[in-house]
Amino acid sequence: MTVIFGFFLLTLLLITAVAIVQSQNLFVSVMLSGMFSLLLAVNFFLLDAADVALTEAAVGAGISTVLLLSALAITAKHEKAPSSSRVGALIIVIIATLVLIYATLGNPQFADPNAPVHQHVAPWYLDKTAEAIDIPNVVTAVLGSFRGYDTLGEVFVVFTAGIGVLFLLGTQPGPFAQSNPFKLTDPKGLRHYLIPRVVGRMLIPFILLFGLYVQFHGEYGPGGGFQAGALIAAAIILFALLEGENSALKVIPRSVLIGLIAGGALLYGVVGLFGIFLGSNFLDYSVLSSNPVKGQQMGLLIIEAGVGITVTGVLLSIFHAFAARGKF
Amino acid sequence: MYYVVTFALIITMALALTRAILGPSVYDRVLAVNMLGTKTVLLLSVIAFLMGRPDFLDLALAYALINFIGVFAVLEFFRNRAAKQPEEKP
Repeated sequence: MTVIFGFFLLTLLLITAVAIVQSQNLFVSVMLSGMFSLLLAVNFFLLDAADVALTEAAVGAGISTVLLLSALAITAKHEKAPSSSRVGALIIVIIATLVLIYATLGNPQFADPNAPVHQHVAPWYLDKTAEAIDIPNVVTAVLGSFRGYDTLGEVFVVFTAGIGVLFLLGTQPGPFAQSNPFKLTDPKGLRHYLIPRVVGRMLIPFILLFGLYVQFHGEYGPGGGFQAGALIAAAIILFALLEGENSALKVIPRSVLIGLIAGGALLYGVVGLFGIFLGSNFLDYSVLSSNPVKGQQMGLLIIEAGVGITVTGVLLSIFHAFAARGKF
Repeated sequence: MYYVVTFALIITMALALTRAILGPSVYDRVLAVNMLGTKTVLLLSVIAFLMGRPDFLDLALAYALINFIGVFAVLEFFRNRAAKQPEEKP
């Protein structure tokens, strides 16, 4: 039955993707990409990947639409008509698609328990999580401890991406910022609109609380630093939309945001170094406490906090960089 | 029972998607996206019970909390564009 639902939802996903590419109006594309992300999250959820679905939910539901609209606010309204024929590109895409479809024929069946991915290291992770770390959510254990190097790499990818976007957009308001007619967040925000303001302000504390819950409950349910960082950033972006960008910058100034971006990644790295100083390997949390299991849990909590801090900092910096950007 | 509800929700989502693609006005599309968001929350809750894992309701909660931020951004986007439109015309 799940397969049928998945089939339906994937078909809707495909239709949305084609519509995004086909649409000449960029605003329509932004709206449709919001829908794409919603449908994708349901698909992840159907495949039992709750942590991935929560990431998609946290980033896709609010923040990606806001960022895309901010980008749209400083570009043109319509896509430029293609200058040359794109038949060659179409042929290449069709050939690549056929090759990929042919390659999937060699894959194991969907949900086949004998597939290599279920036989390689996964059973070991499932066995060892209860013994070595003693938390119910194996995904968090794999992400934070067993494959801690990979997650450290991911955090630095987020860090580098944030720095890259800030290099392109600038961290300070440009000379054209004041004259930009299409700036997404004008200084006043939606302050004069009573209903959004009242409802929005009521919800901000709950979003923050839920973000903290996702942050510190990642060992027990779906969640962790990436999702929590996106949720907390969403709460502050909501505040910026309601009260104006400058009020949000008063709460968390740009200098603090830069500190958050670097600080979270550093916190993760320092926990790894502590492992070395205490006589074990890099990112081995067992030595952080006299009880190895407690040490693992402590290490996981700290590195997840580092991940959350970096993600929040990067998302908010990108938002403010877009909002401060002038139109050329 | 859950299956019937799930199917009904997926069909509603398909209808909302149709409206978003066909348009014709911006408001149709904004409403369609908002409605698809609501349906996603419902669908996630139903599937959580269908799979017997009600603890996954966290996801639906996350959507319910932050789904409207995109709508606020759209509102602000069009308010600014409308406010500045007369200046634009020479």
